[in-house]
Amino acid sequence: MATVTASAPRVGLPGVLKHRAAQKLLLLALLAAVLVPLADARWASGSWPHALTVDVSKPLADASDWIIDNRDSHPLFLYFFGYISNAVVLCVRAVYLLLLAAGWAGVTAIGAVVAWRVAGVRLAVGTAAAFLACGLLGMWVPTMQTLALMVVAVLVSVLVGLVLGLAAGLSDRFHRALRPVLDTMQVLPAFAYLLPVVLIFGIGVPAAVLATVVYAAPPMARLTALGLRGADKEVLEAVESLGATAPQRLLTARIPLARKELLLGLNQTIMMALSMAVIASVIGAGGLGDRVYQALASVDVGAALEAGIPIVLLAVVLDRITAAAGERAGEAPGSRLAWLYAAVAAVVVALAGRLAGRLDWPDSWTVNLADPVNRAVDWMTAHLYSGVPVVGGTADWAGHFTTWVLDPVRSGLQWLPWWAVLLLVAALAWLIGTWRTALTAVLAMAGIGVLGVWKPSLDTLSQVLAAVAVTLVLGFATGIAAARSDRFERLLRPVLDVFQTMPQFVYLIPVVALFGVGRAPAVAAAVVYALPAVVRITTQGLRQVDPAALESARSLGASSTQQLRQVQLPLARPALLLALNQGVVLVLAVVIIGGLVGGGALGYDVVFGLAQGDLATGLVAGAAIVCLGLMLDRVTQPTQRRTKGGV
Amino acid sequence: MSTPVFSVEGLWKVFGPKGDRVPGDPELTALEPAELRSRTGCTAAVRDVSFDVHKGEVFVVMGLSGSGKSTLVRCLTRLIEPTAGSIVIDGEDVRAMDKTRLRELRRHRAAMVFQHFGLLPHRTVIDNVAYGLEIQGLGKAERRARAQEVVAKVGLEGMEQRRPAQLSGGQRQRVGLARALAVDPEVLLFDEPFSALDPLIRRDMQEEVVRLHSEEGRTMVFITHDLSEALKLGDRIALMRDGRVVQLGTPEEIVSHPADDYVREFVRDVAREQVMTVRTAMRPGGCDGTEHPGALDPDEVVADAIKVVARSGRAACVVEDGRCLGVVDHERLLGVVAGTEPKKEAV
Repeated sequence: MATVTASAPRVGLPGVLKHRAAQKLLLLALLAAVLVPLADARWASGSWPHALTVDVSKPLADASDWIIDNRDSHPLFLYFFGYISNAVVLCVRAVYLLLLAAGWAGVTAIGAVVAWRVAGVRLAVGTAAAFLACGLLGMWVPTMQTLALMVVAVLVSVLVGLVLGLAAGLSDRFHRALRPVLDTMQVLPAFAYLLPVVLIFGIGVPAAVLATVVYAAPPMARLTALGLRGADKEVLEAVESLGATAPQRLLTARIPLARKELLLGLNQTIMMALSMAVIASVIGAGGLGDRVYQALASVDVGAALEAGIPIVLLAVVLDRITAAAGERAGEAPGSRLAWLYAAVAAVVVALAGRLAGRLDWPDSWTVNLADPVNRAVDWMTAHLYSGVPVVGGTADWAGHFTTWVLDPVRSGLQWLPWWAVLLLVAALAWLIGTWRTALTAVLAMAGIGVLGVWKPSLDTLSQVLAAVAVTLVLGFATGIAAARSDRFERLLRPVLDVFQTMPQFVYLIPVVALFGVGRAPAVAAAVVYALPAVVRITTQGLRQVDPAALESARSLGASSTQQLRQVQLPLARPALLLALNQGVVLVLAVVIIGGLVGGGALGYDVVFGLAQGDLATGLVAGAAIVCLGLMLDRVTQPTQRRTKGGV
Repeated sequence: MSTPVFSVEGLWKVFGPKGDRVPGDPELTALEPAELRSRTGCTAAVRDVSFDVHKGEVFVVMGLSGSGKSTLVRCLTRLIEPTAGSIVIDGEDVRAMDKTRLRELRRHRAAMVFQHFGLLPHRTVIDNVAYGLEIQGLGKAERRARAQEVVAKVGLEGMEQRRPAQLSGGQRQRVGLARALAVDPEVLLFDEPFSALDPLIRRDMQEEVVRLHSEEGRTMVFITHDLSEALKLGDRIALMRDGRVVQLGTPEEIVSHPADDYVREFVRDVAREQVMTVRTAMRPGGCDGTEHPGALDPDEVVADAIKVVARSGRAACVVEDGRCLGVVDHERLLGVVAGTEPKKEAV
């Protein structure tokens, strides 16, 4: 596409049009002036024109029926998927039995010992305390179920990720092919992965494990490739100059040099796997996630919290241990003898537990948290939900938010003619990114229309927009504050650390307690989930502004607001755009899950499809989620994609 | 002169699309670098370079950044594949070597020391030094023992178990040097080894190289952008500009007889009395005497001769193998310092 270059002086062109942005918009307006009347004349309709939809639910339902009918007879299932399914079940079962055989004392001891050797005494104590807390809450068995599923899923993810990452690290062509796939997978909400695996494997543990693997393997692959490619060129040259063969180069230099990235990849894979293993309770993963899911379904906040706390503890412990391993990667490894002693100690504790006949967590040692929590929630419902003088109540807030923000945005979006929505998407994407990203975004949006889920998608979109707006206002404000005050940042950092490690699912519990069910709590959960990343990226971006530029502004006598407005914010623009992009992606992920707490729209369609066995509805919604995710990512994608940290 | 270790003839390295057509095309080879780039999109890093490196000498390739010197040294062991020309090591054509032969060359005959050291951060000093031997497949005990000797030789005793991150820049480069020495190569290649170091440490390391060379007499090819380093270390210097060798000669030849204005500009600030030898400065012809009190060696630099002459207050004889070659006096010595000595007297 030919864009007018600004270099040649053009006589008679108004100054405005010399801006690239203005040129893009002008071109788009020209395009629209030709196409819109045509489109409007043919398919005049506010919503997506019916003539342009393709009904895919029938063939999908047929395919789903066919698979269900043939699952036990067709050779593809008998000799391929069947084996995979059986192997997964067997592995998870084996790990689960192993964990049970070790007993609660043994598992706690092993966890503490690993934490001690990898990360020191403090974390060892923390790990032991976390495991004991799981037991105290009466969640020992579900915790072990989740852990067993996690162990298998993480092992497979790491294996798959390593193989893909090695290939991408060593072959340029494979890297070029793999990267866009990984980029895209990274922006898709976890819910989108559930239905395809259910279609093939049915609801149950194999589907849960495989969905987890698909979700958790990409960061491992990405970071492995990054580590292999980022190795110090001179070191590799030195190794080659000494006459190393290719395998020697790989084993003695490239892989050890990438150790930090590999461990970071392991960390991210574990965190993603935990996040997904919990969400996969919707497709039969069992364990802690299932408890939360069941409790949320009956709006039993106390029970949800009892299962939610172990999830958070597990997340924090796993994150800290693997992160510590990554940070220590460059240092000298500890002595083998210490490991041996540690292992012996763990085995002794496990045996002692076994001999004492205390393998299962004793029932009398549990603390009932659900009842007091539920009483507190009841009290809140009675006193804080509404009618609090002056400030109103939480339910009132939620109601106001729904009436004054969510509803107008939704009806506004649905009122817009379909071509106007497409035009808007194109304009935004092109202004921020390139014509390529704009084209992808428009095609993705059109795909939603073609699938025939225009209306619910716009509903989801309205929630996303509202949540992103709130997130950005809060996030930028907090980020700017943290960038300006060291003390505030120090206070904020541990909070952000904990919030960023928690699985998406967990955020639903407190918002249900506060706001009940509906679209507003879904939006609230999304805001809370996306906020830490936005705050962190904003703070980092502002802090990384060239100190020399800031100093020169200060030497010219700029006030601190002037510094912020004229130096820091403009220079941190790439970081702010990245924060926007990340915010949108994270918000979408949780808004979709919000379908579980009355968020409605696409997320509800997926849950409904799963619950009713109506896979066609679910799959169409899943595809729409993919399109929506792609569209939102591309619309907010800055011209140069930065390598993203975090999720 | 002894037989050449390395013999480089008409070497070209052209980066860019279809770079291999450039060296054979007289029209293209005549182009200036900027023109060549705009015409073909190619960059000629090394252009028609020829030289011999003799056994036991320190051969310095000197030039500013972008002159192609680092590319040149990498071409010698084909870390960068040359585009045209020939490289011969001990009579064997390097460019014709197959993979195994080439690996053999890198393992045993030429080892390289890098600007940023190129150490493996996850290994201890001793394992870094032993790395080349490990690559060759030596057993652990043997390679550790040999590495230990070299570690002692470069003055790193007591640091064997440290990691590169725990060392200073100078110590790291000692590890880099030890790693190259450990494989006992015929030739040591240095790629700007000291330019990342502080001035004082750099001088230490230069003296270390001088010491090692005088002890072992190993052939060295030394790349640098620092003229004083080149003059200090080099037996012969190849001065490069835009991929070509503009002058090749002893330090004294380069300082006293710059080949063109570029070289002249380059050596303008050199302390000539530190480079020029008495052989050049003397008035040739014997002194007719048989006794030569306070005689000077012809290879001594003028700075040392000034001390002798100033102390004795009279002209000094230049004596080689008991034969008087000439005489230096105040006038000749001052002429060297001032740069006004009569031209074309050096033999």
